[in-house]
Amino acid sequence: MGFSRYVEVGRVVFINHGPDAGKIATVIDIVDQNKCLVDGPEEITGVKRQVISYKKVSLTDLKVTIQRNARAKTLKAAWAESDTLAKWEGSSWAKKLEAKKKRSSLSDFDRFKVMVAKKQKSRIIAQKIKELKA
Amino acid sequence: MTAGLRVLGVAGPKKAIKASSSSTTSTGKSARYYPADDVPRPKHSRAKKHNPPRVRPSLVPGTVCILLSGRFRGKRVVCLKSLESGLLLVTGPYKVNGVPLRRVNQAYVIGTSTRIDVSGVDVSYIDDSYFARSSSEVEGGEEEFFEKDAARAAIVSDKRRADQKKVDASILKVVDATPLMKNYLGSKFSLGKYDKPHKMVF
Amino acid sequence: MTAAGLMRQYQVVGRKAATEENPNPEAYRMVIFAPNAVAAKSKFWYFMRQFRKMKKTTGEILDCVEIVEKNSRIVKNYGIWLRYDSRSGTHNMYREYRDLRLTGAVSQLYNEMAGRHRCRPRSIQIIRTATLGASELKRPNGMQFAQGGVKFPLPHRVDTAKRGQKALSDRTFSTVRPTTYFG
Repeated sequence: MGFSRYVEVGRVVFINHGPDAGKIATVIDIVDQNKCLVDGPEEITGVKRQVISYKKVSLTDLKVTIQRNARAKTLKAAWAESDTLAKWEGSSWAKKLEAKKKRSSLSDFDRFKVMVAKKQKSRIIAQKIKELKA
Repeated sequence: MTAGLRVLGVAGPKKAIKASSSSTTSTGKSARYYPADDVPRPKHSRAKKHNPPRVRPSLVPGTVCILLSGRFRGKRVVCLKSLESGLLLVTGPYKVNGVPLRRVNQAYVIGTSTRIDVSGVDVSYIDDSYFARSSSEVEGGEEEFFEKDAARAAIVSDKRRADQKKVDASILKVVDATPLMKNYLGSKFSLGKYDKPHKMVF
Repeated sequence: MTAAGLMRQYQVVGRKAATEENPNPEAYRMVIFAPNAVAAKSKFWYFMRQFRKMKKTTGEILDCVEIVEKNSRIVKNYGIWLRYDSRSGTHNMYREYRDLRLTGAVSQLYNEMAGRHRCRPRSIQIIRTATLGASELKRPNGMQFAQGGVKFPLPHRVDTAKRGQKALSDRTFSTVRPTTYFG
């Protein structure tokens, strides 16, 4: 298995710990073997420019073409050009997170409705399978 | 004049004279009779007046609640109002899940965010005294006590039966308007192995 | 002195208290790393009485201001020359760090000295600091991150999203090993 996700300038990372948990950011520069400098850009993802430990981030498949130490403005332009936010939101990773968030915000009645819908779905599937087997 | 001779109700000889002289049948003499015993007077009480019990803001009339204890635990019921005693008046409705008009302690209830419009349900005549037991209900002598518990059907008065029907009918009208609501009220709440109630939204 | 959290950089100016014989004594300026202004002033007198015939009781602090990094937007290379007392003697040392701020680099230094040499903050004296270009670096570790086009994977990791939770998952016990390969 080779690697496809690298810590490198322009790599989009997902922050999964700390005050910015759940947001994505871009690697602007590499500080050392433990931490890197990231920037949201703040206007798009809400992550301020900061040094963050690799332990708090997960690497994503996305990469933006930027220079090392890019300014916030250039970074924003690069994101807009490559449509990175849309790419992220279209990824199954982001979709799963969104679904998880939605699931946890459901009320008791909503959970009941989901349960009923699930039952209906599996019923339809079971019926189809029965037909196909016959 | 010593304090021991004082008579309650009469402030003193001077006042007694004054009082008798002001009356129409004044003879210029002080009253001949006075009460021999002290008249009991209520003591000054410092007992505080209780404020009405506070009911959680989530438990407004129409809230669907989950009962947590008692024989109806797990049932989802409709809160109709809070009574003066601080207990909640709830009902299943009886027709849907078998919970009759009933008082429950709000501490043993989870209020959900689901609301039902109960403005059309008239429960103004139901208060705490509505649920008081009549003395005839608790009969049964020694014999019956030793007879062991032969299961007796609960005796429900016709009035209660009629009230329940009335309330059920008006709630069901609203419940039927929301799809799946009837099934929801009919189902019981339970926690799965990995459900964390403190992290759930209700 | 402690090195609580992030160190700060102070410029402290002090002199001997003015007397009738010497109404205008010479003032001395020192740049000091300390967690707060109080510690910085204390450190000023510590160094001052080693270099000149001066001490706190006969002197006065004229000024103590914090110096903040001008550009904390980009990562820079810092070289730090220091002197420290080990259990067996005094040593001079040179170290390099990469950080946004000099104070950050100094904090890293205190932490690393504590970790590698069990060195307490009171036995470290910073002699000189410098901001270095990539070609001026002397240590290979700093060098490899200072150049452009740095690229490396993060092999064998445990998902930090679950690190805070019990046993790496929502459940207390797990029958599966955690995934450590994330591509």
